[in-house]
Amino acid sequence: MARPVGLIDFGSMGNIESIRNALESAGADVRIIRNARDFESVERFVLPGVGSFPEVMRRIHSSGLEEPIRDATRSCPTLGICLGMQILATVGYEFGETVGLGLIDGEVRLMQCKSSVPHIGFASIQQVCESPLFSGIDETEEFYFMHSYEFVNYTDVAALSSHGQHKFVAAVSRGKLHGVQFHPEKSRDTGIKLLRNFVEL
Amino acid sequence: MRIIAKLDVKPPYVVKPVHFEGLRKVGEPRELARKYYNQGADEVFYMDIVASLYQRDIVYGPIEAAAKELFIPFAVGGGVRDLEGMSRLFHSGADKVVINTYALQHDPSLIDRAAKQFGAQSIVVSIEAKRSGDDWECYSDCGRERSGKLVMDWAREVQERGAGELLVQSVDHDGRQIGFDIDLIRNVKQLVSIPVVAASGAGSLEHIVKLAREAQPDALALASLLHYDHSDVSAVKAVLTAKSPSE
Repeated sequence: MARPVGLIDFGSMGNIESIRNALESAGADVRIIRNARDFESVERFVLPGVGSFPEVMRRIHSSGLEEPIRDATRSCPTLGICLGMQILATVGYEFGETVGLGLIDGEVRLMQCKSSVPHIGFASIQQVCESPLFSGIDETEEFYFMHSYEFVNYTDVAALSSHGQHKFVAAVSRGKLHGVQFHPEKSRDTGIKLLRNFVEL
Repeated sequence: MRIIAKLDVKPPYVVKPVHFEGLRKVGEPRELARKYYNQGADEVFYMDIVASLYQRDIVYGPIEAAAKELFIPFAVGGGVRDLEGMSRLFHSGADKVVINTYALQHDPSLIDRAAKQFGAQSIVVSIEAKRSGDDWECYSDCGRERSGKLVMDWAREVQERGAGELLVQSVDHDGRQIGFDIDLIRNVKQLVSIPVVAASGAGSLEHIVKLAREAQPDALALASLLHYDHSDVSAVKAVLTAKSPSE
């Protein structure tokens, strides 16, 4: 039976259809979450990665989603994707300084490296601790990245990746809360495998 | 190097413009997107090439159909004029939007506003370059309208305004399968720090190897070469890996 997964919709910020399609392929029964009440019916959540840091935080505040998201991350498996991972941080520096959800210690900074930024394309990741998200995925498999900013974190790194010579955090995990910098919904079968791991957590 | 399959669409068909003029039908967007996905394409670009020309809204049906079950990035462009239109494209399954005419000919601040709302990484600016002496001029509407802006000035400006990526097409080379305008790609690539997607002119694997070696773009957009089955994505990837182990 398909498992219910809440997909949080921050409003007209970008594409959440891709994530919905991919989650459905991974065996999820996707419920779109737009307000606090919608949280009641589901036991796992995805924070999608669309928009810019300040714009998403502004919408989270104006729609009263901050407290429900905090509560959900304490008790339910939660997956942040790209910007949805970055807003878990203490602070972000995209278009000025913005306070994040502060659920994972760290800050989100512009990538500083010689290679082209935004970093766009498929890349492999290096797992630095055991995470159920990566079960059955080996280190030659690649994920799709599309980002200018990176999550600078020293405490909860689950995986790293590189852009040219520059290493950066590709995934964070803290208890039931997970975040990935890449887009599993755009990473072919490997991404679906990761989403299935999440749906079955 | 990323390999992108580029679908130039005159709804409901993917067409192949020859030298930006004259169109040949090559199939349906959904079916071709699927085909190139299965060949190993890293991304698909969908360009409605008549929306801007006819000054009408882009047709959403074929976009939704193509986006479904395409688990790689999907960029869509054509007649994009405002944030509402972009929002609709994202909700139709686009991961990135491609902007040209409106920003170039009417209001470049569209790029700033789009980057701020949707994030720079989801904004692609398309440049249609036409050789003009030692320089290149930006065109729009499939190479029909001049802008008076030089490509290098415009490339620098759109990067400053927040574009996340540049699609560099050549009006002179497009659809002719005579090889890329390598000077154009190299000059743009050396000028900007955002990724550069090279397009227009691939007729053989040799053209691609030469481009990779001499201009080093971040990505490659292919149309004719794939549409006419002269080659496929996996063959392109194989030849690039063989010739440039660093990639």
